[in-house]
Amino acid sequence: MNAVLQSLQPPARHTNEDEEDAWGYGNLDQRGGVRGMMVPRVPDPAAFLNLHTDSISSNPAAKIKLAHGTTTLAFRFKGGIIVAVDSRATAGSYIASGTVKKVIEINPYLLGTMAGGAADCQYWETYLGMQCRLHELRNKERISVAAASKILSNIVYQYKGMGLSMGTMICGWDKTGPALFYVDSDGSRLKGDLFSVGSGSTFAYGVLDQGYSYDLSDEEAQELGRRSIIAAGHRDAFSGNTCNLFHVRENGWEFIANYDVNELWYEYEAKKKAGASQAQAQKDEGMAVE
Amino acid sequence: MALFDQRPAYAHEPTVAPIEHRFSPYSDNGGTILAIAGADFAVIAGDTRQSEGYSIQTRYARKVWQLTDNATLATNGFAADGKNFVKRVKQRLEWYEHAHHKPMGLKAIARMIQTMLYGRRFFPYYVYNILGGIEEDGTGAVYSFDPVGSYEREACRAAGAAQSLVQPFLDNQIYFKNQTPAPGAEAFVPGRLPMATVLGLVVDSFTSATERHIEVGDGLEMYVVMKEGRQTTDLTDEGQLPAGMKVEELGSMGEGRGEKTFLVSMPLKRD
Amino acid sequence: MPVEGPSIGFDFSNYARNQFLGERMNGLPRATSTGTTIVGLKFGGGDTGEEEGICLGADTRATGGPIVADKNCEKIHYLAPHMRCCGAGTAADTEFVTNLISSNLELHAYSQGRPARVVTAMTMLKQYLFRYQGQVGAYLVLGGVDSTGAHLFTIHAHGSTDKLPYVTMGSGSMAAMAVFESSFKQHMTRKDAIDLVARAIRSGIFNDLGSGSNVDVSVITKNGTEMMRNYETPNERGIKSRNYKFRRGTTAWTKESIRSLIVSEEVKMTTGAGKTQDGVLDVPVPIGKGPGGEEGMDVDA
Repeated sequence: MNAVLQSLQPPARHTNEDEEDAWGYGNLDQRGGVRGMMVPRVPDPAAFLNLHTDSISSNPAAKIKLAHGTTTLAFRFKGGIIVAVDSRATAGSYIASGTVKKVIEINPYLLGTMAGGAADCQYWETYLGMQCRLHELRNKERISVAAASKILSNIVYQYKGMGLSMGTMICGWDKTGPALFYVDSDGSRLKGDLFSVGSGSTFAYGVLDQGYSYDLSDEEAQELGRRSIIAAGHRDAFSGNTCNLFHVRENGWEFIANYDVNELWYEYEAKKKAGASQAQAQKDEGMAVE
Repeated sequence: MALFDQRPAYAHEPTVAPIEHRFSPYSDNGGTILAIAGADFAVIAGDTRQSEGYSIQTRYARKVWQLTDNATLATNGFAADGKNFVKRVKQRLEWYEHAHHKPMGLKAIARMIQTMLYGRRFFPYYVYNILGGIEEDGTGAVYSFDPVGSYEREACRAAGAAQSLVQPFLDNQIYFKNQTPAPGAEAFVPGRLPMATVLGLVVDSFTSATERHIEVGDGLEMYVVMKEGRQTTDLTDEGQLPAGMKVEELGSMGEGRGEKTFLVSMPLKRD
Repeated sequence: MPVEGPSIGFDFSNYARNQFLGERMNGLPRATSTGTTIVGLKFGGGDTGEEEGICLGADTRATGGPIVADKNCEKIHYLAPHMRCCGAGTAADTEFVTNLISSNLELHAYSQGRPARVVTAMTMLKQYLFRYQGQVGAYLVLGGVDSTGAHLFTIHAHGSTDKLPYVTMGSGSMAAMAVFESSFKQHMTRKDAIDLVARAIRSGIFNDLGSGSNVDVSVITKNGTEMMRNYETPNERGIKSRNYKFRRGTTAWTKESIRSLIVSEEVKMTTGAGKTQDGVLDVPVPIGKGPGGEEGMDVDA
């Protein structure tokens, strides 16, 4: 009876004294809930965090610079879901890394994207992976994308106002077919067919909106995702380096490839030029015939 | 008499309110760390100067720490947080060894560091960590972390005061950025440089950073972690090391697979 | 009647704008400051028979934030033949303020028909700096010998001055003063004075992060001024362990365009309306006799 009662109890609120407790694995307590999360003993912890880090605002004077900046996109179409992201992380004006994995492989049929705080996304989406596995073990079936995204949404909502920064898309294939949810640290959770998140999202949407249709072929859809990231990587200073492309199908996700943004951009430019001169030649030919 | 209904400002009673002192638990102790992964080895290096503002607190403060036979951690940022963090990491590694009768693998250490850093998401350790060593599959590896735990495996990484001076140099020499291979030649592959080359690059990174960054200098410590089977002579042979180095083999820390760690040190300019 | 702004001094009209911009960007642009060790002391005199003089010293590091901007700059500035001035603080301010006062001292010497005194230089400097209320960030050590003897002053950016037998300034002043306080003696020999100054500067170079590289020393006596640039060089640059020579063709390019920089022109002589005018010589000027002279410039060097 006690065990049943205990299992029904909400997870304990996190305090500072748990430094003394025995550890489970990682940051988990022995019942599998999240523990730790030490909070400074100041009247306003969020203000403290904002003073010393650039997590909430981009406080340029802050000592602790966290990785930021991104273009990510995902869209649903008849062949599944395309997920494409760039790979740049910036701290202020410094490019902290050009090889970030912004697609987080939650499990073989769920993907999460990373925008905002790199650690927030990495940590909570990994944690989400654990929760999804527990769901499988408890219910003898895979978790739905809707449920998975709601777990994440509920977690970040608990920490609302504390300074988490995430803008993520949870993509997967469940009983209902391909499903795509946008979840952010403000607590928003939206179901949709097409999202782009991050500082370069406006550029990506530009390409995405002019080329999107539900009936795209697999090749066309992959090319659209790729082209959108290249456009954003070219125009947005906080995005770029390389593009990682994923395709989610009924039997799980597949990593398509990693592309160098610069190289691809020049390839597109060369194609554009070749296309233009060909069109010109055709036009000239046509006129000559007339 | 409405004018006097309001009490003049000076007549207010002294307010009883808490005096706010800004809680400022962080400081920046300068210095720079750097790690490069090879095919079957890793080099983790740091200078030994610790400073605050314009003063040198000590010319010898350790920034690189051997954790296990196959893992070495470099910390940079706020020295007190760094020391405390390393202490806790070592404690967790000891517990692990007691529980599992084997040392923790590099990949697992990396994940553990993430969770430990993220546990302080709202009161961060002001520490930039770089973990280097030998992976379970025998390859050299470098993991780099931000202060709240986002991490990534890389071929090389510089962090700290002179990060922006050293990393572009590494990008050019390790990742061959902005270098086009000769026509017909093979494409460059990062992470396959011989040990002598890597050590030369590390030394040059630090002597250059010392020239142009005021917080870098005094001494250089390079920890070389080698896969089992590699010989000490790989390091001590003529031409392997730049001149003026001191080499010391560090004893085994437990039941590893026979990886060796060496400490190679040299003085840096002190101005 | 409209209120007119002051006709001299700094223009503060963009102050608010710059402050706002500074908040939005990563701080305001920083002037190069010579995070510095500068020192000076009086030696000789008394009944030692040693001639009286001033010994000045400076390090040679200039910084911009934590980055070394110049590894071998000159911080001992010329004021007059018998006066030198070490500068700390904002590099540009020390440079310009010493230059300006140097000019004024020269004019002063001409108008008075005798060399200017050290107090005169000190007064001109302090009055100038006081006028700008510390906005001209020059912190100076002034030393020289005149008809009244050897004099040593410090002048702060706000205009205050001190007259002392041994002084230090800059971010390394504490390190240098520690040396002076432990070893300074009245009426030292010239050699001992130089040694002590060099030791004080070295103390700054090695213990203060803002100071570094080499030791400059200057000695002023009534018999003349000696400038010992790079008197000590305790921080020679090491040799790189690797060679960083790149293969020709390493750098990629997107397009190539080669053009000849040698312009050939033909000049057709015409005179007004096609007629020869009186007094105008029809001498054609050959191309290629430009600034390079008869041979022209060597393009293919």
